[in-house]
Amino acid sequence: MKRRGFLTLAGRSIMVVLAATLPFGFARLMSPNVSADVRWRLRPPGALKDDDAFISACIGCGLCGEVCPPKCIQFYTHEGAKKVNTPYIDPAQKACILCDKCMEVCPTESLTVIPKKEIDMGIAQIDQSACYPWVDQGVCGACVVVCPLGERAIGFDFANFYKPVVRDGCVGCGQCVEVCPHPSLPIWIVERGSGTVAKHGAGKRHQWIR
Amino acid sequence: MIRHLNKLRWVVLTIVFLMLIALPFIHLYQTYLAAHAYDLLAPAEKQVYDVMEMLTDPFVSDPEHDLDAIKGNTWSGTFFGFRLSDPLAVVSQSAAGLSLYWPFILTGLIPLVLTLLFGRFYCGWICPATFLYELNSNLAILLHKLGLHTGNRHLDLRFKYLVLAIGLILSAVTGAVLTATVYPPAIIGREIYYGVALSGYSHVVIGGFGAGAVFFISTLLFDLFVSRRGFCRYLCPGGALYSLLGHFRLFRIQRVVEDCNDCAKCNAVCEFGLDPLRDGFGMECNNCTACIAVCPTDALKFSVTIKDQAFMGPGHLGKAYKRSQESKVEAVKEQGKQT
Repeated sequence: MKRRGFLTLAGRSIMVVLAATLPFGFARLMSPNVSADVRWRLRPPGALKDDDAFISACIGCGLCGEVCPPKCIQFYTHEGAKKVNTPYIDPAQKACILCDKCMEVCPTESLTVIPKKEIDMGIAQIDQSACYPWVDQGVCGACVVVCPLGERAIGFDFANFYKPVVRDGCVGCGQCVEVCPHPSLPIWIVERGSGTVAKHGAGKRHQWIR
Repeated sequence: MIRHLNKLRWVVLTIVFLMLIALPFIHLYQTYLAAHAYDLLAPAEKQVYDVMEMLTDPFVSDPEHDLDAIKGNTWSGTFFGFRLSDPLAVVSQSAAGLSLYWPFILTGLIPLVLTLLFGRFYCGWICPATFLYELNSNLAILLHKLGLHTGNRHLDLRFKYLVLAIGLILSAVTGAVLTATVYPPAIIGREIYYGVALSGYSHVVIGGFGAGAVFFISTLLFDLFVSRRGFCRYLCPGGALYSLLGHFRLFRIQRVVEDCNDCAKCNAVCEFGLDPLRDGFGMECNNCTACIAVCPTDALKFSVTIKDQAFMGPGHLGKAYKRSQESKVEAVKEQGKQT
């Protein structure tokens, strides 16, 4: 009889504990781990580099989005499993203007104030087989004109006024992505280590220096 | 004077809720201002611009920057330079990150001190979910009058502590702040923002209300059909934390037994199903003062003490007490006759 009493007690307590996990399971069910291509989603400037650390630091208060002047910061509202309620920037819709407001307002460690040059949302990469000037389909240079960081981030190829080339001062704000007129978006933000700039050596050196 | 605190509470709740609705619109207005392109706005956006300009014009001279004074929601926000965060946010973020980040922890300090003084006052006075939950219990009364079956089950009050503990453990294991997904005030603050400000991206799948809205509606249904105010009383991890912090709260409502007439209106009106009539307040009382407002003899008062008084017996204006006194008097008289 004693064993039976113990077993029913153990069974009941397991049931109670499982019942207490139900709200969390319910919330998890409603934010399934499916999302659009994450390549399209950059973390806001000043974010912790390690995305797991970012997720554990972010409390999902939405303050960064609420101060963003161009309203570029959006949120995983009902997808992405544990990414849910964390912010992202989709530069094809609206790109970051590097105003630093989100970094200043964030109460947690997830976004911390850092100098503009050290922001690292990624690095722009140009598909030279699609970009209009690179395939000799016309003159453009929109990305170079719009870049908030100027010469050190993006410029023209040597002795050419139209073919854009990304330099290692690029912080990945994505203004060039937003402005690019080509429908297939030949310019895109990639992780700093994997861009062509990095492959050519400049970006890699930049990383070592930091 | 103290009788009107409940009205004041409703004013506060309404202001907090309206602020949560206004802030996303204020953000939209600021984005339109930052864009410097009124003529390019869509007609609906122009309407938002005009209305917000009209509403905020008396208070700010440079709306684009001055309106940053109040930002965020009750989960975490800035209020005229003060950064305030929910203590639950601090606790669960520390659990999720398995580290202490002091700049963030300090933002929870003012709410923490207030909670130590006033107990679960946040639940009764500020929480935007309470605003909707109390309206929801009024709806339950209405449905009940219409003859529909509404639930009023009693579960174990300690269940929410288990929910809090499991939430913190799961946060630590998964490395994400999971309590934020099940905590109604956090959900409401951010869902209103999503619904108002993100719905502009309507050409994409994302935008508009998120998963939290569904969760919150399901808690409303839980309250309607399973247990009155059941989520706050039995499930809410934040309520659990505040109950624990407010165990030795300094300001608590107490019954003055001399003025009580045992009418039991306080028990009927108590949203949290407490027992003021028998001095049963405990950790759950959120100092909402509804019982003070309803008491016909002003027998409920705030007192400064860290412990509830024990049951003081039937109220001295009540029939039970009078009867017992009469029988006592008679007993004394009989004793007098005998001697």
